[in-house]
This record gives sequence, C-alpha cells and structure tokens, in this order.
Amino acid sequence: MTEARYLYCIVEGNEEVTLGNIGIEGSSVYTIPCQNLCAVVHNCLPEPYKSEDKEKVKSWVTAHEKVVEVAWERFGTVLPLGFDTIIKGEEGIAPDENMKKWLKDDYENLRQKLAKLKDRAEFGVQVFWDPKIISEGLVETNPEIKKLGEEIKSKSKGLAYMYKQKLENLLKKEMEKEADRCFKNFYDQIKRCVDEIKVEKTRKAEEEKQMLMNLSCLLSREKSKILGEELEKVNNMEGFFVRFTGPWPPYSFV
Amino acid sequence: MEPSRDAHATLVDLLDRILDKGLVINADIIISVAGIPLLGVNLRAALAGMETMLKYGVMQAWDEKTRAWEREHRKKSLPSLVEGEEIILKMYGSYYYTKGIYAAWKPGYFYLTNKRLILHRQDFDEITFQIPLEGIKALIIKEEEHFVKGKKKQALYLIDKQDQAHRLSAVEVNQLKEDIEQRIEDMGLSLEENPVIPEFEDEQIAGSLTEGEEVTHRGKKVWYLAPAEGILQETWKTGHLYLTDKRLCWWYDFEKKLVFDVPVDRIVRVNTGMRKTSGLDGGKKEAVLDLLYKVDSTEKIASFAGNEINEWAEALDRIVSGKISKETETCPQCGKSAPAKKLLEEGCQSCGWVSPRLKKKIAQTALST
Repeated sequence: MTEARYLYCIVEGNEEVTLGNIGIEGSSVYTIPCQNLCAVVHNCLPEPYKSEDKEKVKSWVTAHEKVVEVAWERFGTVLPLGFDTIIKGEEGIAPDENMKKWLKDDYENLRQKLAKLKDRAEFGVQVFWDPKIISEGLVETNPEIKKLGEEIKSKSKGLAYMYKQKLENLLKKEMEKEADRCFKNFYDQIKRCVDEIKVEKTRKAEEEKQMLMNLSCLLSREKSKILGEELEKVNNMEGFFVRFTGPWPPYSFV
Repeated sequence: MEPSRDAHATLVDLLDRILDKGLVINADIIISVAGIPLLGVNLRAALAGMETMLKYGVMQAWDEKTRAWEREHRKKSLPSLVEGEEIILKMYGSYYYTKGIYAAWKPGYFYLTNKRLILHRQDFDEITFQIPLEGIKALIIKEEEHFVKGKKKQALYLIDKQDQAHRLSAVEVNQLKEDIEQRIEDMGLSLEENPVIPEFEDEQIAGSLTEGEEVTHRGKKVWYLAPAEGILQETWKTGHLYLTDKRLCWWYDFEKKLVFDVPVDRIVRVNTGMRKTSGLDGGKKEAVLDLLYKVDSTEKIASFAGNEINEWAEALDRIVSGKISKETETCPQCGKSAPAKKLLEEGCQSCGWVSPRLKKKIAQTALST
C-alpha cells in the first residue's frame, strides 16, 4: 500500500475538480465526490507529516489553511479537518474506497453539520486585562482594601509586614471576583451577538497582560459588525484589551 | 472594531485551530499511532511559545473554575419538558426572529413533542420559539430566494390561531411539516387547507435592492415628511423604513415604491426630538427623527416619525459614530490635524501633546518598570 489521501475538508457538491497545486509542498489538490458531498484531498504517502523545523511546519499549516479557504470560497460551506488527517487504504481496499464508505456511512451527520454551518464563519475573541490597572482601580474603590490600606499606616514595622500580606491576599481574592464578574458580563454581552460560543483555554499573554477569556464564536459574517461594536465597548474600558480575529473556517464547530 | 487576520499576529490562533480542532474521524481509517490520532503532536513540540499555561498561578485555578461554570451552564442540552411530554423529532433549523427593528435568523434545534413545537438554542439553553400544537392553524412551504445569488431555499410558514405568520427553516422542511401534521391529526385536530400567507414586509422591497444588498433593520410603520412638490405642501406620508448594509431607504406604501434613499456613508448626523407634527395626529407631539445627510456638498434633512423611532435613531447613530472614529481631529495644543484615533492613542506627532488618559497610562508603565 503506497498511497493515501491527505484530507483537508468536506464540502457540498458533486463536482470532480482540481483546485491546482496549492496543497502542502505544492501537491495537487482535487475533490472526491460521493453522493452530494466532496472530500478535498491530495495524494500522499501513508505516513504523517512531521518535522522539527519550525519554518517548515509553519508553511505546512499555512498551506492547509489556504486549501480550506479556497474550498470555502468555491463551495460555500466547509467542514474543515485538523492538520495531518490522512485516510489510509487497507489490504485490497483503496484509500478512495475507504473515504467514500465513510462519507456514505456518516452522510446524515455530515449533512446536519453542513446545514448548521451554512453562511457562518468562526471568529476568535480574546479579552485581556492589565492586572496593574485593574488592581489599582480596586485599591481605590474596594472599601475593605481601602480600610486595610489605611490601617497599615498606623502599624509598627513588623505588624505592617503582616498586614501587607493580608492585603495582598485580599487583593488576589478581589481580583478573582472581579475577573469572574467581567467574564460573566462579557460572556452575556457577546452571546447576544453570536449563534454559538465555545470557551477555550486561556493562553499566556504577552507583557503586562493577562488573558481573561478566549472564545470561539460562530456567526454569520454580516453579523460580525454587531459583534465588533460590542467588543469595541469592552476594548474602550480602562485596562481592557480585545483581540478579534477571523473570519476563520469553522474549525471549532465541527 | 473589525476582525483582523494579519498573518503574523494571528499565526498562534491559526495553529490553535488547525492543530487542535477540526472534524474528527474514527481512527480506523486514518493513520494513527497506537490508535491515537496524531494530530500535530510532534508539530506542537516544534513550535516554541505555545504553552497554554497561565502566567499567574492564581489565575490558573480561576480559569479552570470559569470553564467548569461554562460547562455546567451548557450541560442542559435539552429544553425542559413538561410531564408526559415526549420528543418525537429533533432537527436542525432556524427561526426568523423579529423584535423591534432588528431581525435575524436564529438557529437551533427544532423539537417536535407530542405537545409542542420548540426551537431550542443548545448553547444558551434558550427557547427562541415555541407553540402548542393546538395553536397551529396552518403550515405552508414556500420556495424563497436564498440570499446567495441564484439559490433557492424552502421556508416553512407556520400560521398560528392569531393569524400571525412565523417563518421557519430546517434541514428537511418537508419532513418537519409532515411530522407536525401527523401529530396534529393524531390529536384529532386538523389544519386549515389552502391558507394564505400574510405578506412579510421586507419582501416588497426585494426588487429595489441592488445585487448583494441586504436588509439589516426593518420594522413597523414609519412616517416620512415628503418635501413640498409643485403646489403640494410638505406632508407626512406612511410607509416603511429599511436599513440595508448600503443604504437607508423609505418605501412609500401607497405607491409601492422607494421614494427616499441615502447611502449610509452620506449620513452626517441623527437628531431626535418631540415636536408637533401637523397632519399626523392632531396637535399631539411626536418623536421625530431628523436625518442630516449630504448630497454632493449640500446638506439636506429628512424627517421620520413612528413608534419605533428611538430604536431607529439608535441604529443610525451607531453607524454615524462608527464613521467618526475614522475621521480626523485637530490637536488641542498645536491645531494640526491627524486621525482622531491616532491622536488619542499615540499623541500628537508634531507637538508631542498626549491625552490625559494616555498620560496616565504612560505614568503607570513607567512606575512598574
């Protein structure tokens, strides 16, 4: 068995077409139709793509994305696959047979997913805050913290040290509470503008910022303007920053 | 703010999606190591700075907690049913939701039970639409223009006993319709035959839209102060206002045509105020929206009135204020003009003036380093 198929995405349609040499390492990308669905693939060896070379990996991932986008534009709706999904053949069964069998067996499920994603795109929303600005705000407005701060001034050196620790603990707790409150507020605000939300793990952020929330949102492209307006409000708040990315193929909603 | 796809800044986002997500296939037909699909395992190791760890330990616990809250929040994937209620059919679909002047297709899952038809949004555990089966008067399937050019789609119109039409769409509209009909028949009830669909208002302007233009806001009756013409004085006329992604249009009901339209980027300002509108409703004061717009270089005013006028003002205001952010402003110190956003965020390039807020920010970063 020397052949396998690298699978980029599933689209709607019956056409057997070539999309050109736009695949990973310039491979020729084409569609394998079955019933009313097409698999977008290139021919490859039955082994995964791996490398320690960062630049190489970047170029593969970018090519993968490019193919999905070309298919997206051409066929309207896509079910994107993750990197390195390779359909293998088996003794006496060609990889194409395997692929078609899967498309047939999973037909209903795939159709439902396509219907759900029709005319929609994925957008990434990440909200950050600057813990310094936020904590300074809390020190000014939270009565408990304020009171502790006042008390420190009148204490002896040793006691003051202890009080400082107490203050730090309290501040941490209040920051968590504040984060909780912001998360729920923003979540509610954003949910009104989108069709679906997935909450992702937060990542380590650059410099002074902390990532407060990391969302993938599914919505129609024209509604991204409304979402953008909502995010603008958050971005304009002192100490808060928003990253808004997209439109992406709906990787998180398949 | 606009979504960005700047290649450098979003590489991490792209990697996150392509390496961790996407449609999952049963492992028996894909290449895998020891039964585990190997999506990007090696790749991730090759890419530095991709930790998902949080910088501060405190926040890590918090992150776990909020995500648990969110999971809890969406666990209830079924709409709550009453006793003795059973789900007969579940199907993906959407409901054309109109409230005020904003309208949109809201997607979710239709649940047909032995008592009701429900549209449920799983993510938010929210029922967008529901009707008891005995409240349904008629069902009609209609071919409609899909907003993707040249495509048709089938919509299911559900007319309730109050003669209100609801517009639904579903993966298999015919099956949905048949199953509802079957249920109603089982209950010993029947639907009206050959019903007529009350017309949806935005259909009337469909012919006046340009290619790819889409209505984003529509609503109830809006009065327009038609300018004086010949011997006719200016008069309030009744029709409907539509905001599309390109224009604001007013449709004159009586003549069935668009008599006013202005590209959205020509709108300068929107004002509302209470004033007497002679000929509208006796001498009563009405909320009137005055729209200042530009034709070539002259400014003109159009006036509208109606129940939803404040909502319209808000929607238009948003457009206008969105535009302002791109406009230029003069520096309060030296008077040199620059993009307003740049002035506020970076200060003045020629004299070094900075906004008080920016000054504070700079001071804070200086303190912390």
